[in-house]
Amino acid sequence: MRHPVRLIALIVGALAFLFPFYYMLIGSLQAEPDTTPKGALPTGNLTLGNYADIDSRVDLGTALLNSGIFTGGVLLCTVVFGVLAGYALARLHFRGRTLVFNLMLLVQVVPFQLLTIPLYVLIVRTYGLGDTYLGMILPYAINSAAVFIFRQYFMQLPKELFEAAAIDGASELTILWRVALPLVRPALLTAVLLTFIGPWNEFLWPFLITKRADMQPLAVALANYMTNVAARAANPYGALLAGACVLAAPVVVLFIAFQKRFTATDIGSSVKG
Amino acid sequence: MKRTLIALVTGAALALSACGIDDGGGGGGGQDASAAAAKHGPITIWYSNNTDELAWGKAAVAQWNAQHPDEKVTGQEIPAGKSSEEVIGAAITAGNAPCLVLNTAPAAVPQFQKQGGLVPLDDFPDGKSYVEGRTGQQAQQYKSPDGKYYQLPWKSNPVVIFYNKKAFKKAGIDADNPPLATFDQFLDTSRKVVQKGGAKYAILPAPTSEFFQSWFDFYPLYAAETGGKQLVENGKSTFTGPEGTAVLNFWNTMYREKLAGQEKYNGDAFADGKAAMAIVGPWAIPVYKGKVEWGSVPVPTSKGMPANAIHTFSDAKNIAIYSACQNRGTAWEFAKFVTSPEQDGKLLEQTGQMPMRQNLQTTYPDYFAKNPAYAMFADLNARTVEVPNVPNSITIWQTFRDAYSSSVIFGKSAPDAALRDAAGKIDKLATGS
Amino acid sequence: MRTLLGRHPIGLVFIAPYVVFLAAIFAYPLGIAVYMSFYDWFFAAPGAKVDRPFVGFDNYVAVFQDPAVLRSFLNIAIFLVINVPLTVGLSLVLATALNAAIPFRTFFRVSFYVPYVTASVAVVGVWLFLFNSDGLVNNVLGGLAPEPSWLVNSGLTMPLIAVYVTWKQLGFFILLYLAALQNVPKELYESAAVDGASRIRSFWTVTVPGVRPATTLVVLLATITGANLFTEPYLLTGGGGPDGASASPVLVMYQKGIEQGHAGVGAAIGMVLVIVVLVISLINRYLLERD
Repeated sequence: MRHPVRLIALIVGALAFLFPFYYMLIGSLQAEPDTTPKGALPTGNLTLGNYADIDSRVDLGTALLNSGIFTGGVLLCTVVFGVLAGYALARLHFRGRTLVFNLMLLVQVVPFQLLTIPLYVLIVRTYGLGDTYLGMILPYAINSAAVFIFRQYFMQLPKELFEAAAIDGASELTILWRVALPLVRPALLTAVLLTFIGPWNEFLWPFLITKRADMQPLAVALANYMTNVAARAANPYGALLAGACVLAAPVVVLFIAFQKRFTATDIGSSVKG
Repeated sequence: MKRTLIALVTGAALALSACGIDDGGGGGGGQDASAAAAKHGPITIWYSNNTDELAWGKAAVAQWNAQHPDEKVTGQEIPAGKSSEEVIGAAITAGNAPCLVLNTAPAAVPQFQKQGGLVPLDDFPDGKSYVEGRTGQQAQQYKSPDGKYYQLPWKSNPVVIFYNKKAFKKAGIDADNPPLATFDQFLDTSRKVVQKGGAKYAILPAPTSEFFQSWFDFYPLYAAETGGKQLVENGKSTFTGPEGTAVLNFWNTMYREKLAGQEKYNGDAFADGKAAMAIVGPWAIPVYKGKVEWGSVPVPTSKGMPANAIHTFSDAKNIAIYSACQNRGTAWEFAKFVTSPEQDGKLLEQTGQMPMRQNLQTTYPDYFAKNPAYAMFADLNARTVEVPNVPNSITIWQTFRDAYSSSVIFGKSAPDAALRDAAGKIDKLATGS
Repeated sequence: MRTLLGRHPIGLVFIAPYVVFLAAIFAYPLGIAVYMSFYDWFFAAPGAKVDRPFVGFDNYVAVFQDPAVLRSFLNIAIFLVINVPLTVGLSLVLATALNAAIPFRTFFRVSFYVPYVTASVAVVGVWLFLFNSDGLVNNVLGGLAPEPSWLVNSGLTMPLIAVYVTWKQLGFFILLYLAALQNVPKELYESAAVDGASRIRSFWTVTVPGVRPATTLVVLLATITGANLFTEPYLLTGGGGPDGASASPVLVMYQKGIEQGHAGVGAAIGMVLVIVVLVISLINRYLLERD
């Protein structure tokens, strides 16, 4: 490697980013909380007790399944409808495009805390979706940031690609499916990873929608666990960190599995070809 | 064209919202109140997910259901923490609140009442007499400004000072009889324990800005100093008098001399030995068991008072009936069931929290003989001071906290002046304007 | 027909589900928020008889006269000035480095992504451990440690939160740039190399212009998420302390609108914030997307 400096910089950066995660892991394994700098080293005082405790109090299988339904529903809607919307906003000229673009910005600008209660009233009272998965999914169904991401990446594609396809007489849907989508695969993945994390870590909304423990996703189950052990566990802080690790683990695993797909689809050659 | 479109969309949304939020329906009306109060049938209740309380709650529900097959109670858990008020507030607005919430915070009652979310217990023929009969004189604090009870006083967690005996011994302080009764004694003891290395801080109440934090530093001492005054009485703030000033100056000295910390501790400072003292309720007894060798004293006052004259903050949680409830007759019967001598006894036994019942110690002599550590809390239970039941309750506490934080904790201004300023705002808020 | 619907009427079909979604989910709550901001509003039980008078612009006047609100807007300005440039610069540089053929690429990508996925409750705990007065950072700094310490020093909390949020979100923005970098034609780098451009030079002349739409995106998303800052002052500094130095507009809105039940005032704060951020976003977009 010709650039040891870059590698060293990356290593230093990576350590700065990994340390808190590492610390969380260590903290979750401690039998007694140790907040001194020495406590950051894995020197004795370690136990799996915090995890065993979670396993005994939270029905992890059900919670994971609920999380899967919740995030899966959101992902499906976002990918299908978000791609369509993003493509239209980037490539197609139709009346009202600017209006929709501005609405998309507006929706992201509005803080969720402002809308929570009216939205809850709407979904529970007007739509009658209390205690349903659909009610949980709806507010997140099409992630506006993801629509925005799709738009930006479709815009980045060279114009010639589309012109060539249009000359061949392909319909817009075909162009989107055959030409544009394969080229923005990394963006698709980014949007999925972005969209995924919102519902995955969300606590307040699913809890508002359902108080039934058998419908609550992992984040809610763990948050409930954390508040109720906080006073009593031998190491409440460790219990909290263990909960956070359990919540983060599936996401990290998924990321590791998918990140290889980030490699380039070589756009240069597709333009030529 | 575009502009008209935007105008149209906004206009439509506004019109929609306006009628959407005002459409009637749901039974909160006045004339059918007594009819609703007599209705029986299945109900849903929410209880706290705190481990011990949950076990008690589940058992109580099971026992009720066995006796009342036609009036089944379904229990659902909500977090014990602050988010529970948000959840209840949203449910009131959407009209799907449960019939009962055990663990309704007294500070939130004025707001829930204003929202039209609560049923006055006076609607039930024996409502008022039951509340006053069970709780006695203390119940008056829970009366709303309109003279009705919107909450059934349930259980309190009167706060006291716990101290770490080891830390005190290390600093050469008499650990069995530490001088902590007057402000001066408390300050001297604090200085000693910090200087002699007993602990980094004498005491570490959360120095953060959440509205409720004053309940665990200023308010218990103020309750004791004034012999039981609330923060606001008869629509006027009370804390600008000499008693309030004494308590403010006491805490200000604690912070100025770094006997109390300005920074939130990440964990339990008392358990970790960072602070030699803590302000805690009876819940602390099982929490520190085997971790800290502790002793307890009542909160200090400027001149010192005998323990049996000390008032303190109640940290109570109550039971309220919500207006979305259809079968209010059952709800009220269940509320009486869970506050019966039998269930109160079980609650005490299983959670160590103090049912707000007159003559607690004589009602459950066996328990207090077996658990002498709890006797002090039972005694204080008769002299607890609640947060004032006035409009804008939470805004008042936040206003107080902001002024307290900037002057007493961070020393940016003189406590007197800052709190006088806050008192002016609070007087206005308390009238409901 | 063409002039009425635009050059690609099919676009209306593509966009329809999204528009329906916005109308069904956001129009009503947003309408209520606007409506509330002109009333002495609070949320009430359905059917309850309550008095919520129209107050015109009173809530807005109250908002602009409230020092706590003004302070929170100043705080967020400090936050954005530090956070946005730092985010854009670091994420582009790191993404470029991560896009090259380096050893342990998976390891690096995962490590930068990890903070983004981890729940705030836990990460905040770790930062408290690092930055409290007895924390690791002050131990390392020794005599150079700030007094008062980071989280209780009104001059340092907001910059620290800005750095914290940069750190927490960076993984996501790196991903955005990584995706964008895949679409920069290799030929451009090759011809830059033929022209004898150094790596730094080709970074400026090829990479930076090549990912411009992504930069617009990063700037806008960083501004928007930054302006909606809530969790950090809520958890990290215990309600916007010390003495309001880290309160954000959304935190104040939450306190007034939800905790204290003054939904009208809360909504007015929200609307002011929305308008300010929207204006900033549109200016940003104009500056970044003009050719």
